[in-house]
Amino acid sequence: MNLEIISRYIHQPAQLPTELRARIELSWDAEPIQLYALADLDDALVLGETWMALGNRFVAVARQATTGAWEIETIDRGRIRAVQLSPGLSANILLLIGEPNEPPLATVRYTQRQRGAFENIRFVLDESLAGRVVQPAPEEADRVYADAVARPVRDAQALVAGLESAVILRLLSYLTPYRRQVAVGLGAAAIVTLASLVPPYLAGFLLDRVVRPAQAGALAHGEAARLAWIAVGAMAALYVVRQAAAHVRLRLMSVLGEWVARDLRSELYAHIQRLSLSFFSRKKTGSLITRVTADTDRLWEFIAFGVVDVSLSVVMLLGLGAVLLVLDWRLGLVMTLPVPLFCWLIYWHGESLNARFIRAWRKWSRLTDVLGDTIPGIRVVKAFNQETREIARFVDRNDAVTDEFNSIHRMWTTFWPMLMFAVHTTTVLVWVFAVPRLLGVGHPLSAGVFVSFLLYTTMFVAPIEVIGQMVRTVNRATSSAHRVFEVLDSEPEVKDVPDSVRLSPVRGRVEFENVTFAYDGVRQILRGVSFAVQPGELIGLVGTSGGGKSTVVSLVARFYDATGGAVRIDGVDVRTLDTGHYREQIGIVLQDPYLFHGTVLENIRYGLPSASLGAVVAAAKAANAHDFICRLGQGYDTVVGERGHTLSGGERQRISIARAILHNPRILILDEATSSVDTETERQIQEALERLIAGRTVFAIAHRLSTLRRASRLFVIEKGRLAESGTHRELLGKPNGIYKRLYELQLQLQ
Amino acid sequence: MTALEIEREEESEAIKLRSAPDGRLIAYTERGPVPVRVRQCFPWSEPHRHLSLRDTEEREVVLVEDPTALGAASREALERALAEAGFVLEVTRVVSIEEEVEIRQWTVETRHGPRSFQTHLDDWPRLLPSGGLLIRDVAGDLYRLMVADLDKKSKDLLWAFVD
Repeated sequence: MNLEIISRYIHQPAQLPTELRARIELSWDAEPIQLYALADLDDALVLGETWMALGNRFVAVARQATTGAWEIETIDRGRIRAVQLSPGLSANILLLIGEPNEPPLATVRYTQRQRGAFENIRFVLDESLAGRVVQPAPEEADRVYADAVARPVRDAQALVAGLESAVILRLLSYLTPYRRQVAVGLGAAAIVTLASLVPPYLAGFLLDRVVRPAQAGALAHGEAARLAWIAVGAMAALYVVRQAAAHVRLRLMSVLGEWVARDLRSELYAHIQRLSLSFFSRKKTGSLITRVTADTDRLWEFIAFGVVDVSLSVVMLLGLGAVLLVLDWRLGLVMTLPVPLFCWLIYWHGESLNARFIRAWRKWSRLTDVLGDTIPGIRVVKAFNQETREIARFVDRNDAVTDEFNSIHRMWTTFWPMLMFAVHTTTVLVWVFAVPRLLGVGHPLSAGVFVSFLLYTTMFVAPIEVIGQMVRTVNRATSSAHRVFEVLDSEPEVKDVPDSVRLSPVRGRVEFENVTFAYDGVRQILRGVSFAVQPGELIGLVGTSGGGKSTVVSLVARFYDATGGAVRIDGVDVRTLDTGHYREQIGIVLQDPYLFHGTVLENIRYGLPSASLGAVVAAAKAANAHDFICRLGQGYDTVVGERGHTLSGGERQRISIARAILHNPRILILDEATSSVDTETERQIQEALERLIAGRTVFAIAHRLSTLRRASRLFVIEKGRLAESGTHRELLGKPNGIYKRLYELQLQLQ
Repeated sequence: MTALEIEREEESEAIKLRSAPDGRLIAYTERGPVPVRVRQCFPWSEPHRHLSLRDTEEREVVLVEDPTALGAASREALERALAEAGFVLEVTRVVSIEEEVEIRQWTVETRHGPRSFQTHLDDWPRLLPSGGLLIRDVAGDLYRLMVADLDKKSKDLLWAFVD
């Protein structure tokens, strides 16, 4: 997919040129390239092609001479003393610095697009300068480069827009379980179309074969009346059949569309639940909600009406054209020749409107920006007395939006009457050509054929309109289908292996064996972390922000898999465990506890819906939550609003602790569970936590170090490494220890 | 300016800046020469004034409020560094703008060469205080368009994005 993104969107080499790679590696005594990046700006800040390659002992910079030949400069990594990055607005400058007072060993310039690939090189060099060895696998060099370059586009659009036809076919494959209903619906729609073609023919037949012969005395009155009543009866029967078919078609296809939308929504939601956390860090919540709701709704519209309308309009137009040409090919040509022009005009009109809609959409988003800013920030607006200015800003943007939409209205209200005028002009042309022939000049034309013709011409408008808008209909549907398939095609990064192991129950021994972890595969967040935690131990994780504490607990919970080394639970590699079963035995209490919209009871029972009410009360008492819950208007049946916003932070936290107690996990993770609450609430939460942690393996992250005094051991995680470990007393006894310094700093602040 | 005048000016300079042979900007301070990078405090409102010169640890070494107050040699060195720090891709022609799922695909010609880039569908060009439009692509690169200077086709393509 990365290669597809680079070739389709980014238009830069998808990998280091083969010949250049061979030359660089040859100049390095056949040592392979581990990483490389494209510097796309030259010294004069003109877009160009300079490559930087990293090996185990060398760095090479290859510049293209005016002759096209590569000039390769090799730098011994042992000479590099520092790597400096000068980030600009769009131009970054990377310098490899050698000895002081000597010019940089290499200088390359590149745009932000290449930043990821250069960050990988910089990371390895920085690590090396800090005395830590990182050895990227040479066979991964192409993948790592392509991944870094394509990542921004991939994050914006996880599925490369494929062929429209392929997307539509995939969408239509969701109709497969409903083949019978589709066949009946399409059959009914075909009947509606064919039945629509018959009445004009009958009208012509009645006029030519019955009325005029009867008026001329060529047909007996009785026979004429019999034929006329047969025709009228046939017409009535036809309309009955047509409307019955229309009813079947509308009912079936709209229901069918709902079924397909339901299937898509369920599949999409189930898939979203299975996706790894990394997916959610890339996608906005609003965007995912829109895919499950608005996009599937739009697909219903397409399946229920679009598919049938478009296909039948094509059939209708072809049928009408054929009938008209068969009836009278001269008049038929007059009527059918302009049809492609009308379709094109409608298409052109749609495209023109599209540009106006983009403009209106832009202005609309400026209007909603004001709302999004000022409604949540109303306190600031009032505090600075800016209401008048904000009203003026809103009115200004509101006027701009209105002008834009009125311009759209002016356009379509002009276009459609003009188009109808053109269609009617065609009808007039039919009259112009037909009247002399009706009067006996030129090729004879019967009145019946002429009447049929006129009736058929009125039927041209609707299918022309549908076909003209077909492009827009299909575009909208494929766009929604893409957004849905993008999610469906995303693979969870954490997957269960076949025959995964179930630990029943988990005892709680957690081992990290030389664990490394990198979100992007290169820049390591954890570097060779090893420890063993016995069941029932309380481990305090401390260290500066960004050091890797949260990554440690994410690996324990198997939200991610280690990129190197192994995480073992009770001696079993976590990657071989049944993830769902394992997570049932893990509890997490977060800094900002998340409560779902529902009652307090439902929230406490979230992990164990079958828990008895007595068990719920016991858990709430243990969590110091029972008393305040009883004070709520409807006790445990009180509905807490979205995210529990009707409760205070401390109350939400205690409900989340009750939820964890009821869940009875073997391994418990406390992520800043007592921060951002007042002292009394913290005391209550601490009491609750002490009851919760008894007999479990606990990993507790806390910035307030005093809360971790009871920990069996403390792990100080710094820059991805386990820098110190021991009890509170042991760590305080370490001269110049990190923990000692952090602890003393906090004491000073208090 | 004569050599003597330059010498006198250098002696009187409160802030002395020079370009190193490798192109880096060097600020001469009380602690000696320090390699610095330029950060524009107001890249769009006032791109050539209020320039923060920062060391490799991102600490401000000096704030140049008005470069015209510097000596000629310092000003020249600063301007050279500013050209790199303030570099954005200057669009000279818009070839096409196409909408795809989730992204808008732009193909343009710039003063620095041809370029294709992508923006989120709901990321709109920003009107700069000094005129012109600024577009930020999904990778973070910035593109400046002086719409009035573009050809008719470019203007037509940009019509939906300009007031």
